[in-house]
Amino acid sequence: MNNRSIAAQDFLCAVTINAMIPLANERTLQAAFYILRGRKANQTLQDVHLYHLYPYYRMFPRFSKEDWEKIVSTLLQEELIVQLPAVTPTSKPSFSITEKGIDQAEQWKSAFQLDRWNEPFTESGLAEKIELFWQRLHLLVQTVSQLLSGDLGFFPVVSDKKIQQWVKNQLASHTAREQWQKRLGEELHTLWSPLPEDVQKLLIGQLSGATQVGKTLGQLAAQQKESAFYLQLPFRYGLAMSILQLQEDPVRLPLLSHLVVQTEKWDTRLTESAARTYTLVQRGMSIEQIADARKIKKSTVEDHLAEIALRCPEWDCSAYLEPTLSALIIQTSEQLQTSRLRLIKDHLGEAVSYLQIRLALARRQGERWT
Amino acid sequence: MNRILLEKLQLHFGHASFRPGQREIIERLLSGQNVLAILATGGGKSVTYQLPALLLPGITVVVSPLISLMIDQVQQLRTRRRIPAAYVNSSQDPAESREILRELGNGVYKLLYISPEKLQQPYIQSVLKRIGVSLVAIDEAHCISQWGHDFRTDYLRLPDAIKHLGNPPVLAVTATATEDVRKEISQLLQIAQENVMSQPLNRENIALDLVRVSDEGERREQVLQLMDELKGPGIVYCSTRNAVEVLVASYQLQGSKRVHGYHGGMESMERMLIQSQFLLGELDVIVATNAFGMGIDKPDIQYVIHYQLPSSMEAYAQEIGRIGRNGQPGYAVLFYVEDDWQIHQHMVEKEYPTQLQVMQFFQAFKTAASANKDAWGPTEMTEEMVQMLTFYAEQTGLDQEVAAASDSGAEHVQRIWQETEKRKRLKKQKLYEMLRYVEDVNDCLRKKLNRYFGEEQVAFTLHCCSCCGLDRQAYQGDRTNTTNKKDENSWDLRQALEKLLPKK
Repeated sequence: MNNRSIAAQDFLCAVTINAMIPLANERTLQAAFYILRGRKANQTLQDVHLYHLYPYYRMFPRFSKEDWEKIVSTLLQEELIVQLPAVTPTSKPSFSITEKGIDQAEQWKSAFQLDRWNEPFTESGLAEKIELFWQRLHLLVQTVSQLLSGDLGFFPVVSDKKIQQWVKNQLASHTAREQWQKRLGEELHTLWSPLPEDVQKLLIGQLSGATQVGKTLGQLAAQQKESAFYLQLPFRYGLAMSILQLQEDPVRLPLLSHLVVQTEKWDTRLTESAARTYTLVQRGMSIEQIADARKIKKSTVEDHLAEIALRCPEWDCSAYLEPTLSALIIQTSEQLQTSRLRLIKDHLGEAVSYLQIRLALARRQGERWT
Repeated sequence: MNRILLEKLQLHFGHASFRPGQREIIERLLSGQNVLAILATGGGKSVTYQLPALLLPGITVVVSPLISLMIDQVQQLRTRRRIPAAYVNSSQDPAESREILRELGNGVYKLLYISPEKLQQPYIQSVLKRIGVSLVAIDEAHCISQWGHDFRTDYLRLPDAIKHLGNPPVLAVTATATEDVRKEISQLLQIAQENVMSQPLNRENIALDLVRVSDEGERREQVLQLMDELKGPGIVYCSTRNAVEVLVASYQLQGSKRVHGYHGGMESMERMLIQSQFLLGELDVIVATNAFGMGIDKPDIQYVIHYQLPSSMEAYAQEIGRIGRNGQPGYAVLFYVEDDWQIHQHMVEKEYPTQLQVMQFFQAFKTAASANKDAWGPTEMTEEMVQMLTFYAEQTGLDQEVAAASDSGAEHVQRIWQETEKRKRLKKQKLYEMLRYVEDVNDCLRKKLNRYFGEEQVAFTLHCCSCCGLDRQAYQGDRTNTTNKKDENSWDLRQALEKLLPKK
């Protein structure tokens, strides 16, 4: 094993144990893995939210199971963490951090400047925004660079159709094209000059255009004799800072701020109509009131509630469905081995409504999503 | 006519004259005949249908199996050659395809690239028929042949589609085709014997080398050394993704060239960057699976190393065919260990269904579940396998009604399975031919390779092959350390941005 892979191993241990600290005694060992990989299941999203692990969410989307297991066994071997068996037959095993572990985590935290790189991540959703932002920016810079050199016969670095279409729309009119060509370089300078030099280098080194082909993060890491895992941190930091700055002060950078504008005006986890219903639900309106206000059928509102239960884990649906009743419905569904509303309803009788069954099943389904 | 052809060639393609064979092919197509053209990769295939497309009244339809290739070609046609072209394939969403079909109806395009399965759709056929198809060009035409190494079931439905389009002239193009494959293509697409035109397959400027090693360690050592010594740019082909990664990792421990891996498991942006770096000479060596190379136009590739035995002679010829398209002498070396064939054997076994799987397929087919992808979950069948089975089911006259009327369907299951077994045997036969090429050490490699494709030419530029004698040193370059060209200049953000986005 060479020095670089030892350093990489240390760094991964550092990140992992720091992500694990708030989860200790409460979650399984695997919970941190799902967070670092950026799993989209409700349980994971809830954990991120509950334990304020925003910086760690999707930190390494390509983290392999093998790499993860190596890290965990190192942490166990070094006695930085210990496994805890399940307390009752129905609960799950967990883990705790040893004193030695806490010390080591602190030491690593400052060695790898985790606090510094994690600083901008204070809200959920930033991880997803980063990826979209980077893809758009990358293709935009490449296209504008090619426009400036008068040669449009190039391979687009981003093959995602939606991103390509977005860039096309930005550059659709003659005036817009002129503006982007004239001002993109200047705006990027304004946006990035406050960043540390090594972050600037990481961002620019990966961009492609008429005069350069971008390097991959792995190639930049090899040049700097760093691990690609580690470089992911300053890279994400640079992007997150860019996004935050553009959101805060869009007027100063009128062109680049297009990159962070949310084009859909509704919560994109939901259909447009369900999202409208959701905003009214959040204002505390009842089903009848919503149906009245929106001039839609009560049954349509109920459809929306089921959709919200499925896709919005933060929604508290206890006004419609008490937790004990929810558990009963799930138990019945499992006992009868069916998700058919009718069968469950027949079994439970008048005590439950179809809406309640739908909400309970939707919640369970939402939790199973990966 | 002659003058017009040359003018168009100059105007749109920037060539002053035709390459061997091109003019004859184009003239026959323009006079309404069907043609089979066997043209070496990089031998100017696309001109043979793109130029007629400009001269003919309606639209030219180009059938291609590779989505990425389609996209590249259309992009180049639009930007470089200023020819209105579009594509329809499964990568688009329905709205996009509809828009293109609408524009197509208005006569906006001269060329339409389309995947074979899209061309089966009745609606698309009716639109095309209405505007009038003047020529159908079938790229990678060997895919239509059951004898080919890359048979695709949806290609076999092409003759029907062409009939629906009113039997326009057909051009079938391929880079590699044995005698059997040529015969089958000609027969299926009604191409007369005298309209089968081929460029000589023999590549005089490529020297062929073959190295048998006793084990993996020896192989790795030799290949790593060659990667350092040979004059690049070059490609190293491996059979598996894992082999790519291991080889790259071990090279990077000591090697001095700029090397990167490439395979289908990498993120698409990374693949794009690596490919572009290679094309622009920022990388010396690509270590890749066979996912790399299709549609890549890099004339100065100096060598190809095969780390392991390829799966067929066709694949081998195609991969080394990327060497020296600029005419400069180049070097191809194939390494093999005795049990290399096992990995291919294993892949073939996995690709084709077991008898049990065919039975499971039949049951699902019967209950009309074939449209529902989830129904295949428990059978562990890949989508490709389901497609293949659906095709053979239809070939044996099986439809939902017939299936429903038959209980176990033993007879159908048997017939479908026999068909897939036939394909499997053929693949193994191809592998066996490849093995024969490497095992038979006493014969000239060039002779063996060309003879496989029905050719007897043996001319060469610098060296023939390791059997006839070759001097590897002729292909070695200086071993200057290219990686250490670091610029230690101080960093300036404005300068870096201006390089990328120069002031107008």
